[in-house]
Amino acid sequence: MTASTATTGRPDRVTGTPFTRALGIVTLVGVLWLSWFGLFVTPADVNQGESVRIMYAHVPGAWLAYLAFVVTGISSAAYLWRRTRSLTWDRIAGASAEIGVLFMGISLVTGSLWGRLTWGTFWTWDARLTTTAFLFVTYVGYLAVRNLGGSHHQRARRSAVLALLAVLEIPLVHFSVELWNSLHQEASVAGNTDVTMDGLMLFTLFLGVIVFTLMYVWLLLHRQRALALQDLVDDTGLDLAIAARRAEVG
Amino acid sequence: MDLTPRPVADSGSRRRRRWLPIAVLTLVIAAGGVIVTQFLTSAIDYYCNVDEIGAKDGCEAGRRLRVQGVVDEGTVSEDGTATTFSISFGAVSMPVRYEGEPGGIFKECIPVVVHGILEDGVFDGDRIEVKHSNEYKAENPDRVAADDGESKGSACSPSA
Repeated sequence: MTASTATTGRPDRVTGTPFTRALGIVTLVGVLWLSWFGLFVTPADVNQGESVRIMYAHVPGAWLAYLAFVVTGISSAAYLWRRTRSLTWDRIAGASAEIGVLFMGISLVTGSLWGRLTWGTFWTWDARLTTTAFLFVTYVGYLAVRNLGGSHHQRARRSAVLALLAVLEIPLVHFSVELWNSLHQEASVAGNTDVTMDGLMLFTLFLGVIVFTLMYVWLLLHRQRALALQDLVDDTGLDLAIAARRAEVG
Repeated sequence: MDLTPRPVADSGSRRRRRWLPIAVLTLVIAAGGVIVTQFLTSAIDYYCNVDEIGAKDGCEAGRRLRVQGVVDEGTVSEDGTATTFSISFGAVSMPVRYEGEPGGIFKECIPVVVHGILEDGVFDGDRIEVKHSNEYKAENPDRVAADDGESKGSACSPSA
């Protein structure tokens, strides 16, 4: 289908803007930079050898998943608060949770591979691993609840309450390695005043966090707009929406 | 561009239930149940340290345990199919017998978690996990030599 052209000259019903396009390019460059540093420039670890390179995707994935779930929580609170109630908050919450599940999935898969290489096992019912799996499953459930149907405001209210409960799991996951004896190593960087990491490794890890953050923002903007379009289609029906658009253009 | 949905049909709630989210939700609740069960039965306190055996609740000999200790220097030996070594924690040492070859980055002077049962003073292990520390150092002879190795709290130095 050829998109009709609005007065701005941009094709109709796209989620991209000049800003997201620039952000996308910066993100892509960042991914290439991170891959180059992570795979070739950084040294192998004295104990773990080459497998330490998994860290540059595993740790940023986990951190950004936490951030995404916190954004879901804040947006949900903003929706529930009467004075800021808007479906935009609800869609940001939903989009952020989707990306969070994606990043948590990346972290779980890379963590499992890393575990096989260093611990000698893909999975074990350890406090950190178990709480992370529970967090992941909770947000998959949150996404399912979002799609149960009903009006947009019903969906928003129901999922916002769930999001505010789910976000409480994050401190449990983060501190699980300190609360209980755990196979997973404790936090190496966050909240640790005595960071014992090679300088170039630490730099690459932070580079990974920045690149994953850019990727998160880029995905969030697109996904939030896509969800808005989806709601628009739901609201008015596709034919009505097209008719309205035609009326505006003509 | 303005993406605000037009406030047309939002007042009427549609009863459009879809089977996919319900199926996903059922799976999620089942998976959540499994995870919580695992968490409550085994995962909370993942392991006992060697010096906690016989001292701490749930760390008795004769029951299935996961024990953490540092592999003692010069104790790793293979006889046929089994690997024997000893692990220690807090100045207490314990001999371990493991059927097979440990995986991961197993070596001397590294903390491990062994699954198994303590019988007649020997820990009969059937699974070994290497607990690596949160220290990351470049594989560079100069830097390793410069480090005094105080982190492990012992004179143990792994033969790289």
